[in-house]
Amino acid sequence: MDSLHAIGFYMSAGLSVAGGLAVAFLQGRGRRALALAVAGVGVAGIYTSLSAGLAGVVALISFAGCALLLAGPSYRVIEPAVSGRWRQIGAVAAAVLFAVLAWSAFRGNFAAAFTGYSPITLGGDGSGATQVGRQLFTHDALSTDAVGALVLVALVGATAVWRGRERRP
Amino acid sequence: MNVSLVTVLFVASGLVAVGAFVSVWRRDLTHALAGLPLMFGGAGTAFVGVSQFAAVSSPQVLGQEVAVLLSIVGLAAVALGVGLAGREASR
Repeated sequence: MDSLHAIGFYMSAGLSVAGGLAVAFLQGRGRRALALAVAGVGVAGIYTSLSAGLAGVVALISFAGCALLLAGPSYRVIEPAVSGRWRQIGAVAAAVLFAVLAWSAFRGNFAAAFTGYSPITLGGDGSGATQVGRQLFTHDALSTDAVGALVLVALVGATAVWRGRERRP
Repeated sequence: MNVSLVTVLFVASGLVAVGAFVSVWRRDLTHALAGLPLMFGGAGTAFVGVSQFAAVSSPQVLGQEVAVLLSIVGLAAVALGVGLAGREASR
């Protein structure tokens, strides 16, 4: 990856995260939808800088569609009776989620095993984690992607169910 | 200045966490849906990054394919949620 792509990646990453945070904190439906569109531009830029131009275009269209839906006339406000404490606990849980994921990305030696940025050190405990990781990300990459997508859908579904239960009196 | 798989996964983690934060922070349930495309975007970033940097034998388009699917699923989820919210509010 050359410097131009790297600069584009970092700028897009900053744009997407800043846009996402603006969605959480901005007041006004139109502004939040605009912030979501800005986050979409950032995500599309990330994809494009990683040589995934088609995914970038689709992400841009998807985020623009989401922004239009959230700013459109069909939008209806539904506010459950949730105490502020649960929202704060949720915010802390999101921060913990970020810390765990970032730590996993930073310490995950599977990255080193494939990219050559540092020596392979995983598997020193004799568990064969390096071999399993290599198999998952090479020979069985499609299966790994499928399982990852399944887990993601399950997490999103669980979140939806949890938010639905909140609304019950 | 360089971009590695760790950097991409770090950014993907940030996007997923920001999406989760949006979903839990907004009082309005309908607007909490805005966190979904962010989370799907983070997951897609991770898939594209792994496909770009780590997958040796599998084609690089695999991660791009999953990212495209996740983008479509995110849009569908928001559309479904806004539709259900409109139906619920009109009762």
